[in-house]
This record gives sequence, structure tokens and C-alpha cells, in this order.
Amino acid sequence: MLNITPEEDRELRKLLTELAKESKSKIVILIDKSGQLISRSESPAFSSDDITFASLTAGNVAASEALSKLLGDKDLNHMFTETEEEGIYMILLDGKYILVVIFDKDSSNLGIIRVKIKRFYPKVKELIERIEERTEKETTVSSDINVEEIDLDSLFE
Amino acid sequence: MSFINFATKEINCKIVYYGPGLSGKTVNIKWIYEHVRPENRGELVTLATETERTLFFDFVPIEISNVKGFKVRFHLYTTPGQIIYQASRKLILKGVDGIVFVADSQEERHDANLDTLDDMIENLKDYKMDIEKIPLVIQYNKRDLPNALPVDILRRDLNRWNRPDFEAIAIKGVGVLETFKEITKQVLRKLKE
Ligand SMILES: Nc1nc2c(ncn2[C@@H]2O[C@H](COP(=O)(O)OP(=O)(O)O)[C@@H](O)[C@H]2O)c(=O)[nH]1
Ligand SMILES: [Mg+2]
Repeated sequence: MLNITPEEDRELRKLLTELAKESKSKIVILIDKSGQLISRSESPAFSSDDITFASLTAGNVAASEALSKLLGDKDLNHMFTETEEEGIYMILLDGKYILVVIFDKDSSNLGIIRVKIKRFYPKVKELIERIEERTEKETTVSSDINVEEIDLDSLFE
Repeated sequence: MSFINFATKEINCKIVYYGPGLSGKTVNIKWIYEHVRPENRGELVTLATETERTLFFDFVPIEISNVKGFKVRFHLYTTPGQIIYQASRKLILKGVDGIVFVADSQEERHDANLDTLDDMIENLKDYKMDIEKIPLVIQYNKRDLPNALPVDILRRDLNRWNRPDFEAIAIKGVGVLETFKEITKQVLRKLKE
């Protein structure tokens, strides 16, 4: 389990937003390998469904990782996919998370993205490790979430 | 892995529908998708072959709001059933918070049920997860078919841990909701431990 406090959320968003700005990309997203969206840069221009995007990206990375193992047990550490107009760069963080940068090929390029990531990577890593450590120490974090109050029937028509 | 964001007040959990090929996993989550209010669901993604067999996974996020201001989002996944997709099944289990094992009640599919269950237990072990501790629901699907085995036999062979189980006819929606409610309840309860 991982949980993020409002303060940590702000820090994380700030880092990702700075990275997006400096690398001139559309959006930077941090997801975990099981497909959860952890955080994203403030990027109003990006309209795709974040949740679905995170799940598919994690699947994509997982498949590529398995492929590279099949080809000789090398660790995968980054991936690049492109569409006609956009580049999607994914880099593994700590073996547990995936940092995804989406950019317009008109406004940025892989070289710039990689240089900027190099600078931000240690900061994001340090922050997420700090969050993990705090989460691990906590035991009563979800006491204010009352499971009995969740009304699943309200979901359905 | 469940993930809670106290800034956005979101709780995220991952639930995987696991089982042999053609047992009805995709039908389960499609039924849920189709019966949930549009505002409570995200996009349904199916990575399938041209003949509608699941190739990698199906995915749909289901959200419930107003739980003390929290939004709970269940990420539902299904696995591909065919033997050859063993590797993909394992990938999808990563970080799972709860499992629905969808068994095919038909007598001639019982070996496939057993093999897939073994495969699931092995995969969980590799992820250092204990089947006795993880939220789990067993569903005996296709109860409408004439060659369905008695539930007692299915239960004896597949529900060795005495976990909540349900009979289902997923194509008619029978038992689908009960299964879903039970697994979400278990997952949420586990969060509080
Ligand atoms: N008779 C009957 N057929 C079912 C039932 N549930 C699913 N099916 C059928 O079984 C086939 C496989 O279902 P699907 O959900 O794609 O299986 P999956 O491989 O587990 O995802 C489809 O043709 C379904 O229509 C059921 O309860 N009764
Ligand atoms: Mg399927």
C-alpha cells in the first residue's frame, strides 16, 4: 500500500510540472507498475483519460520487460513509443514506478527529454522513497475511511 | 497495490478476475460496466484478438464517491485464459488487492479450472503473496448449462480455503453483482487492517 498526503502531493506535482515545463512536453505522469496513477503535472492541455492511460502504460511496460527478460534477462530501463505527432518516453524508477513524458514532436525531442529527466530523476526518486518510508511506518492511516459507509448499491441503476 | 491520495481524496484498488479460458471473466466485467451509472465508470478497454478472445487484459475503472468525501476507485482487470498466456496472466497479477476466481462449471472444463488455480497460486507465490491472506472470491459460472458439475464438487476442489463463493450465470447477470460486492467489501476491509 502507498498513500500520499496533501503536502507530498503538492511536492510531487510541482516536480512533475517543472519537468514538463523545462522539457517542453505536454504532460509528465508518474504511475506505479501495477497500473495506478500516482501523480501528474498540471497540464490542462492533456485531455486523455489518465486512469486508462496509466493502466495501458503499465501493461505495455510489463510486456516489454518480460520480452527483454526473454531475450536474455536484461533489465529494461526505458522505452520510447511514438505516434504521428507525439512521442511517449517511459523510464523506470526504482524498479517500481514508471515516469512517463508525453511531448509534441514539434515542440520537443527525445534528446531534450532525456537530458531534463536526468536532472529530475533523482529528485522524484528521493521524494517517492520518502513517501514510501512514511507510509510504511504508519499503521492507522485509514482510520478515517469508514468501509461500512460505502454504498455499492448506489453504483447501479 | 492499493493507493490512497489524501490530497485528491482518492482510494485506488486493483481487482483481477482470474480463471481458465472462456469461463466468463470478460462477460463479468462487461456486465458490471453496462450496469453501472455512466458517471461511475471509466472507459472499458479490451485488448482482444479478432475472435474476441482476451489477448492481454480487459480493464475498466469503477468509481464510488461520497465515502466521507473519499472517492474509491476499483480497477477491474481480467486475464487471458489460454495456457499460452501464462506470462501475461502473471504480469496482470502484479500489485493485485483482490481476486475473483471465475470457474467454468462444465465438467469437461474442470481440469482447466484446476490447472488455472494452480497457476494462480504459483504466480502469487512468486510475488510473495499468500492466497490465504489475499481477498478472494470464487465464482462457479455457467450454472445454466446441462453439463455443469454439482456445486459441492466444485467447492471441494476449488474453494479449499473456505472463502465466500457464488454460483453465477454471467451472461444473464446472475451472481455477477454479488461477486463484485463481496470482493470489494473484502478489499476495503483489508485496507483498514
Ligand atoms: N451458457 C453460458 N455461457 C456463458 C456464461 N458466461 C459466459 N458465457 C459464454 O462463454 C464464452 C466466454 O466468455 P468470456 O467472458 O469471453 O470468457 P473469458 O475467456 O473468461 O473472458 C462466451 O461465449 C460467453 O457468452 C454463462 O453463465 N452461461
Ligand atoms: Mg476474456
